[in-house]
Amino acid sequence: MASKMERLYVERLKRYVTAMQNGKPDTIPIRPFVAEFVAKYAGYTCQEVTHDYEKAFAAVRKCAADFDWDAVVGNMVYVWTGLTEAIGLKYYAVPGIGISPDTGFQYREPSEEQAFMKLDEYDQLIEDPTGFLFNVWLPRVSSDVSAMGQPTSYRNNLSFLKGGMAMLSYFNAFGKQNELLRTESGTVSAISGILKAPFDILADKLRGYLGLVTDLFDRPDKVLTACEALMPHLTHVALSGADPDKNVPIGFWMHRGCVPFVSQEHFDRFYWPTLKPIIEEIWANGHQVLFYAEGDWNAHLKCFAELPDGSIVYHVDNADIFEAHKVIGQKFCLSGGIPNFLLSYGTADEVRNCCKKVIDGVAGDGGYIMDASAIIQNDAKVENIKAMTEFTREYGMY
Amino acid sequence: MGKKHKHERKPGVCIPWQEKLKELPEISGNEQLIQKVWEDIDALAYMYIWQCLLSF
Repeated sequence: MASKMERLYVERLKRYVTAMQNGKPDTIPIRPFVAEFVAKYAGYTCQEVTHDYEKAFAAVRKCAADFDWDAVVGNMVYVWTGLTEAIGLKYYAVPGIGISPDTGFQYREPSEEQAFMKLDEYDQLIEDPTGFLFNVWLPRVSSDVSAMGQPTSYRNNLSFLKGGMAMLSYFNAFGKQNELLRTESGTVSAISGILKAPFDILADKLRGYLGLVTDLFDRPDKVLTACEALMPHLTHVALSGADPDKNVPIGFWMHRGCVPFVSQEHFDRFYWPTLKPIIEEIWANGHQVLFYAEGDWNAHLKCFAELPDGSIVYHVDNADIFEAHKVIGQKFCLSGGIPNFLLSYGTADEVRNCCKKVIDGVAGDGGYIMDASAIIQNDAKVENIKAMTEFTREYGMY
Repeated sequence: MGKKHKHERKPGVCIPWQEKLKELPEISGNEQLIQKVWEDIDALAYMYIWQCLLSF
């Protein structure tokens, strides 16, 4: 006979999956993407949960046990800086190293002149993306890895050894973390695997945003071909980390490919044609993708509506969730829509009112998952997270 | 999906088995076993660099 906790897990998984399939579960699932908030709640600093993933895991499990949540990410402070320091990655500001131990880690984009991929290197990337990453990109982003043709070093050799073993250790630890979430609190691991759009990868880690938007005008064909060259690799990585049981979606993190970061014309020519086939391929393999639409992507809802029914879950950040529901709510489950500023600076009553408004507006027929707009960091008030959770449990019954 | 390029390494591959095979003396045992283990470990190196790009 299944234990009480296992029955709770099965109940929550059914609730979560039903909603993601745009169906009506017994009650609205709650799946907050809690990042540095877990540190605040569990009594850790940002440095502790960012630099010691066991503390991050413990903090997530404490929150999962104390709050009545259906699903969480095993560690939403995903960038383990123990690993990034072992590799010598230059683009992070690490809590406790240069920034306050109580500030979340930061991504530091280099200046246009210092971009990790130079203007004249598109052909190298296009010809052999994996080779380019190892031979050109990694030496530039790491303080320890030697560039090709340069003398090797003790630090170079150690970087690969320490980085490889650290990554394996970290990824393997997620298996145990997910099992503990299941057995200790009956909580579902919310996502599995990672996807980013080819266009966003070019902007985030290669050319930089400013470099890329200049390239859109100066060498558009190279940009498009580079996006196309990345497509099969990003698809492969996404599928290799996907849930073998095909219950939970692949997390897709959307950055600067939308209006007004780019024009509608550029979205239509570069971003969408090199993303849509990836989503279709993933769906053909039986996996949903969670569109974590950071910022406001409502200008592109009609494009997203071209995707097969149920193939994605669409998370709303700063955009109008009611508009999103109107355009794609018949096809896809929505999540989010509770503003982070409200969770940080509002009152519990204001949070409850906002949750009611969102639930009334988009959740009537199911297909909605309660969450904040963006990941929840250490500025959120505990009483407001409790209000969001408790109100949804009381008011979200079908 | 995407255009194929002459020297492109396939997704999941850093050093293709056929390239490694040319470096080895005659294989007297089970070649499939050697190939599978080579490819499984090679895939970890592929995961390393693409996860560095995507996740970290």
